[in-house]
Amino acid sequence: MEDLKIGVYVCNCGTNIAHVIDAESVKNYAATLPGVKIARSYRYMCSNPGQEMIVEDIRSQGLNRVVVAACSPRMHERTFRNACRTAGLNPYLCEMANIREQCSWVHNDSVAATEKAMALTRAAVLRVACQEPLEGLTAEMCPTTLVLGGGIAGLTAALELADGGFPVVIVERADRLGGNLTRVDLTAPHFDSARDLVRERIAHVRGNPNVTVMLRSELRSLSGFVGNFTAEIATNGGKPTKVRVGNVVVATGYKEFDASRVTHFGYGKLPNVITSFDFERMLRAGRIETKDGRLPQYAAIIHCVGSRSEEFHAYCSRVCCMTALKYANEIKSAIPTCYVSDLYIDMHAFGKGCEDFYKRSSEAKTLFLMYGKGDHPVIRRAASTDDCDMLIEVEEKLSGEHIEIPADLVILMVGMEARADAADVAHVVNISQDKSGWFIESHPKLDPVATTTDGVYIAGTCAAPKDIPDTVAQARAAAARILAKIAKGKIEIDGVFAEVNEEQCSGCRMCNELCPYSAIEFDADKKRSHVIPAACKACGACVAACPSAAIKGRHFTDAQIFAQIEGVLL
Amino acid sequence: MSYEPKLVGFLCNWCSYTGADLAGTSRIQYPPNIRIIRVMCSARIDPSFILQSLGKGADGVLICGCHPGDCHYSEGNYKAMRRYPLLKRLLDAYGIEHERVRLEWVSASEGQRFADVVADMTERLRALGPCRVKTALATDQIER
Amino acid sequence: MAAKKLQIALYWGAACGGCDVAVLDTNEFILTVGEAADIRLWPIAADGKYQDIEAMADGELDLSLFNGAVRNSENEHIAKLLRRKSKLLVAFGSCAHLGGIPGLANLTSKEDIFATAYLGNASIEPGNRTVPHPKTQVNGHSLEIPAFYRRVYRLSDVVDVDYFVPGCPPEPSQIKNVLLAVVKGELPPKKSVVGASERTLCDDCARRKTEKKVKRFYRPWEIIQDPERCLLEQGIVCMGPATRSGCGVRCPNSNQGCRGCYGPAPGVVDHGAKFLSAISSIIDSKDPKEIDAILGTLPDFIGIAYRFGLPASILQRRHGA
Repeated sequence: MEDLKIGVYVCNCGTNIAHVIDAESVKNYAATLPGVKIARSYRYMCSNPGQEMIVEDIRSQGLNRVVVAACSPRMHERTFRNACRTAGLNPYLCEMANIREQCSWVHNDSVAATEKAMALTRAAVLRVACQEPLEGLTAEMCPTTLVLGGGIAGLTAALELADGGFPVVIVERADRLGGNLTRVDLTAPHFDSARDLVRERIAHVRGNPNVTVMLRSELRSLSGFVGNFTAEIATNGGKPTKVRVGNVVVATGYKEFDASRVTHFGYGKLPNVITSFDFERMLRAGRIETKDGRLPQYAAIIHCVGSRSEEFHAYCSRVCCMTALKYANEIKSAIPTCYVSDLYIDMHAFGKGCEDFYKRSSEAKTLFLMYGKGDHPVIRRAASTDDCDMLIEVEEKLSGEHIEIPADLVILMVGMEARADAADVAHVVNISQDKSGWFIESHPKLDPVATTTDGVYIAGTCAAPKDIPDTVAQARAAAARILAKIAKGKIEIDGVFAEVNEEQCSGCRMCNELCPYSAIEFDADKKRSHVIPAACKACGACVAACPSAAIKGRHFTDAQIFAQIEGVLL
Repeated sequence: MSYEPKLVGFLCNWCSYTGADLAGTSRIQYPPNIRIIRVMCSARIDPSFILQSLGKGADGVLICGCHPGDCHYSEGNYKAMRRYPLLKRLLDAYGIEHERVRLEWVSASEGQRFADVVADMTERLRALGPCRVKTALATDQIER
Repeated sequence: MAAKKLQIALYWGAACGGCDVAVLDTNEFILTVGEAADIRLWPIAADGKYQDIEAMADGELDLSLFNGAVRNSENEHIAKLLRRKSKLLVAFGSCAHLGGIPGLANLTSKEDIFATAYLGNASIEPGNRTVPHPKTQVNGHSLEIPAFYRRVYRLSDVVDVDYFVPGCPPEPSQIKNVLLAVVKGELPPKKSVVGASERTLCDDCARRKTEKKVKRFYRPWEIIQDPERCLLEQGIVCMGPATRSGCGVRCPNSNQGCRGCYGPAPGVVDHGAKFLSAISSIIDSKDPKEIDAILGTLPDFIGIAYRFGLPASILQRRHGA
């Protein structure tokens, strides 16, 4: 092995590090460590001149390892790895010591913090000496995409991909396409027909030879890895068929909140208390009426049923406020004499054109009543002497008064919730759910349609409540991500994964069941296990569990971690 | 000189290490006794890392992973959870107070909790006194 | 001219004698050895004095097989002596290699051992309860016996060892292979483990291996076992997956779990910790209480995990008061 020539770079981060840590001492100390050829400190290592310093030293001094004592590797590891790559040094020969987030920012004792920074730098130097150059791998990308769910999200994603010329398989549990949107009449705030939106999508899907639609079908299992999944799809509960796919879009949608869980609104007991979906059915039938066929003189709309509640769902369902305004408008135009009251907690009108819509609706003589989040309106049957069917009592927040309003028809704006079988879907495609059951994205801001499983994307309301424009945008975003991958043709696999040394594996099969990604395969003929690099996420569970140390966790090897232990404790 | 406990922390990348970083970005102060080693998942933490830390002079070892049900790798933290009780038994048999090794779940949003855990553990180690394994093993080679 | 005969010494430190018997178990092969070699020291089988060894030139011995752990000053003295006089010093058998069964004494103290062995034991006559001291005066003469150490060491803790032959005891067929390799000069790089496989027992074990998920552990007599199936999968503790092979899978073939005498697989730092990591990974529960209960069915874990190698473990011995 060639001699170690380690360069150590101690960042001051302006004063972020240097105000507590004596960076000069850390630098001088680092220079004395074994294998260190050069040690420098600099104001901002991540700046262009800082990176150029590293590049220049690698080139002129022949450095073969680099340690940067600076911020968290979660912040700038990629930056410094790239600098190494630029200089022709394998990026995995770079190691960071976190002396900002985990040192200068959390300790104000300069002496202790400097000592700790030295220990962390020493650990990084000892570790980097054990690090090895790593190369990633490439694998084929199957151009077929599996879309789970034939609602607006799934249809849109499928069309985007199919229009790009690539095969798509839509798997839909129901016996028709369209999803929840087929139950909606008009959309807010522009009063477009929801059915027209969906019909147009379905027609295109049906007309596109790249799309295969599988109704009354469900995904039973998904094995393999990005670019190379095998999906087992069962139709009508029959024997599953295997389909090879490269990517998966999960667009399984939502279900509406069950209003009968809220007892104080009398849903299911009072005949004229209905949910927003009941009302949509009425609208599509073309007649707004009470149970006994009368035109309501008083209509009331109650927001946040099941949403923004401690008891049910803490989150906002996002679409109900504008839908409620749509109802107010529709009732007013169908029955101009009808008094419409709208009972809300807060009016969320965040979408494009929504604030305008709210303003217009406010002018249309709807009575807006605000109630408190912890509070709720109570509905009771009116007396026979009253000219209405029901009375709603509410503590009106803006006036501070206890108000009683008449109602012949009450519409409960039920929120969205994760489907009951979302956990099964999550399990099959190996993605996670948050505490409310929504699928979790890879990064909530920067990577909203990817998941922690490569090649599995989420779109629409299976990830969280959202309206049609956001759903469509996500579906197209997921499709765009996949198209970009298909366009590349091959997938690149990171160099960090577990690998089985077949000279040492004894086929005990201890690791086989441990991998959450089924990345470990057992070859029964050879009596050896091996890891599929593309499926491995490098968690290291099998590495720690392998009783014969036959599995090496690349970039997190036992030797590297032992070196770090030595380093932090010396 | 008074005794300052040496604490080695093994933190999973996705939750706990990020939580420790958050303590930093939030400028939450905690004792400088801990030295953190990053692993991708708490399931990677081989019990020999913990024994090695104690053998090399650590007074305590903190293992942190995502909360159960919250693992980035779906169930890695359960693997850590299964090793821990057996490790504690082993430490007892070695005559080493098992309180020196602690498993805690710290999420990426729990910067404050991470700081609290480190402060608490540092205090407990201070009360427990130094772990004498390293010196004992060195003495063994001189005095038979 | 006849080739110069190989000069050999065999010695036992803190040992049971099983390793020496294993050498004899090579049957007629040992007779060939006797013809091809001069056995200069073998306390269990032949007469020989330490002075004879001391009188030798350094490096005069071609090979010394040292079995047994280092428990007292005599063991250490001879280890150092043989090291000086031998071209090749081999730690022979589990005790010399890893500390072996005597190494379990590292879980207790010299004082406790003496209190049990010389004072507490019911079989000791009341008037005879004396504890040995390294130096005593008898009739005006000074008597010395070896000093009993505070703990047990491996051979490599006190001298530089060239090769390690694992096993409690080493398999006779493996002993033959090692001796032949010495004669032919076909030894691997120094510090290697010889007379054993580079893989673990599972490689040689014929039992069927499938999914490993354990709900409780059984001692061998607590369960009717499936003789075709992996013992660990049936909840019977077997160190096989973590233990270097070479023994011929003797214990699992006799329906007993492997006890780990051949030591850890190549590259493993701590045999017991590795086994701990593996065995707890296959516990089939996510509930801390249930996990604890399952582990409760696993008695004396340190005794299982370090039966043959406590002095070779990272922590080496019991610590604390």
